[in-house]
Amino acid sequence: MTTTLGMRVLKALAVTLIVVWSLAPIVLGVTTSLSTQREVNEGPSHWFPHHPTTQAYRALIGGTTGEHSGGTVTQRGEFVQSMWVSAELALLSAGLTLVVATMAAYAFGRLRFRFGGFLLALLVGTMVVPIFVVVIALFKLMANAHLIDTKKGLVLVFVATLTPLATWLLYTQVREMPAEPEEAALIDGCRRWQAFVRVVIPQMSSGIAAVAAILALSVWGEFLIPLLLTQTQNAKPVTVLITEYVGKYTTNYPILAAGGVLALIPPALLALALNKRITGMLAGS
Amino acid sequence: MTATGTITLESVTKHFPGGVVAVDNLSLEVQPGEFLVLVGPSGCGKTTALRMVAGLEPVTDGQIRINDRVVTRLPPRDRDIAMVFQNYALYAHMTVRNNMAFGLKMARMPKDEIRRRVDEAAVMLGLTELLNRKPRQLSGGQRQRVAMGRAIVREPSAFLMDEPLSNLDAKLRVEMRGEIIRVQRRIAAPTLYVTHDQTEAMTMGDRVAILRDGLLQQLGTPDQVYDRPVNAFVAGFIGSPSMNLLPAGLEADGDGWAISVGGARLAAPKLLEQRRSLRGYLGKPVTLGIRPEDFGTDGGGGEIDVTVSRLESLGSELVAYLAPAGMAADTLLTARLERRASLAEGSATRVTVDVDRLYFFDPDSGAALT
Repeated sequence: MTTTLGMRVLKALAVTLIVVWSLAPIVLGVTTSLSTQREVNEGPSHWFPHHPTTQAYRALIGGTTGEHSGGTVTQRGEFVQSMWVSAELALLSAGLTLVVATMAAYAFGRLRFRFGGFLLALLVGTMVVPIFVVVIALFKLMANAHLIDTKKGLVLVFVATLTPLATWLLYTQVREMPAEPEEAALIDGCRRWQAFVRVVIPQMSSGIAAVAAILALSVWGEFLIPLLLTQTQNAKPVTVLITEYVGKYTTNYPILAAGGVLALIPPALLALALNKRITGMLAGS
Repeated sequence: MTATGTITLESVTKHFPGGVVAVDNLSLEVQPGEFLVLVGPSGCGKTTALRMVAGLEPVTDGQIRINDRVVTRLPPRDRDIAMVFQNYALYAHMTVRNNMAFGLKMARMPKDEIRRRVDEAAVMLGLTELLNRKPRQLSGGQRQRVAMGRAIVREPSAFLMDEPLSNLDAKLRVEMRGEIIRVQRRIAAPTLYVTHDQTEAMTMGDRVAILRDGLLQQLGTPDQVYDRPVNAFVAGFIGSPSMNLLPAGLEADGDGWAISVGGARLAAPKLLEQRRSLRGYLGKPVTLGIRPEDFGTDGGGGEIDVTVSRLESLGSELVAYLAPAGMAADTLLTARLERRASLAEGSATRVTVDVDRLYFFDPDSGAALT
């Protein structure tokens, strides 16, 4: 492929555009979080705060009193607690989903059993059913099982909703993987599950890491299900908590923005950490 | 090491779902220390047969024994075999040493014994310097050696090899052929080796089994299958370049017979005495087989008028593609001639064939007429 100067300029332009498009809202969030409520309400609005302050972060973590916060009320510790809840939900859900999906993907991809193809189609087919369709039934089900407002209940729902996608992603990986190494392991003295643990899983590690990231990120960003199934701080993730900072008459935007910025950090770190593995999987190595 | 152990297939059959018969009633026995090559075109069932011996493919019918122990329904791990795969099938996440040690670890062998065996195999295969590398850091030939090493450290009752050389380049392939034979002679375990390459089969095998459409065609030493093929398929498959197979007829010629092929008539006075099964074919069509090396440009024998279509010089010899007179336009004979044969592309000439070395086959069944 020849790269002319024109092509390179175009490419650089496209990359710049994408970067600006993706980063502008984040930059805006960061600057808002470092502004005072008064400055945010001023017009015309500016990109960089004239009097940068960490007041919003202190109010978010340390709590506010009604007078200073412009309609938004935060309580000491609740934000940190919700961050922990989000992390717990993401890690537990991703972990459990992977346990189920890796084994299911291997079974569908490698073992010959009756109705295997049909079962896989059925499982993957559930992905097209939007959660809204079953939301009322789900609520009743969870209420009957006393799982409303528990992390356990949320994890259960996440595992159920994410397993089809994870199984499907890992299934395609199993199908592309050569079968010979695990056959060699069977000949070398392994039982099927030993070959799975010692040879198949290490072979799949890039794919598993990439799927783990996808799962954890989607649980971290999940909003509707926890909104529906939680009531108290007990199981409320950060996505739900932040919406409560929107006041009835006025909203303290710096506090809202500070919550958003802090909530971005863990998924950003996760994506950075697994970046190499994810691109590795996409490159097919 | 003294040679012990056998691999026995008795009436082994494999049906795949959908009615495909991959292996049909296959019986053969690999003798102690023997290197038996299973050869055939792709899709002939040779790999399926090997995988059944390994236990990777369920057997539909028949019995497999390794060292006189029935293993037909046993899982691979209980068969005491080692296998070398076409694409090496190394454990990508383990070092060379751990790849080779894996089977021994699974067998819970003492650590120093594992170390001793792996080191010994590494010396035998020239892998000592590479023991701490990962497979991706190795060349194709080195990976193949690791796969061999992983097989031999196990000291199994039988070796199975599935086209282990077909991913290597031509030069390396010739080298590794010799190496595999050398290692196998030393280990002296019965070996079943699958390939589609008849050169590999002929150069490596103590005996060669030719398979077609799941059916065993012939089992014999390389010389036997080359000199006395049982049918036209084996005759055409074994040998490079392939045997020329032509429609021909047998006619009475005075006291003896003559073979008419295209416009040529080859006198063969003693044909019937030499080949009893040709008795019923007088006046009937047969398939005539001529090995490329049985052509000549001078001297006695029958003569065929040809036009030289193309010449390939191999340095040591000349491969000529010849269009015989009086035959279908696309018929080309392949002849291996002496290098100094003076031929020019496009010219008409006359080649001789040694009538005593001709092959005859029934045109319908393909069976050899001897």
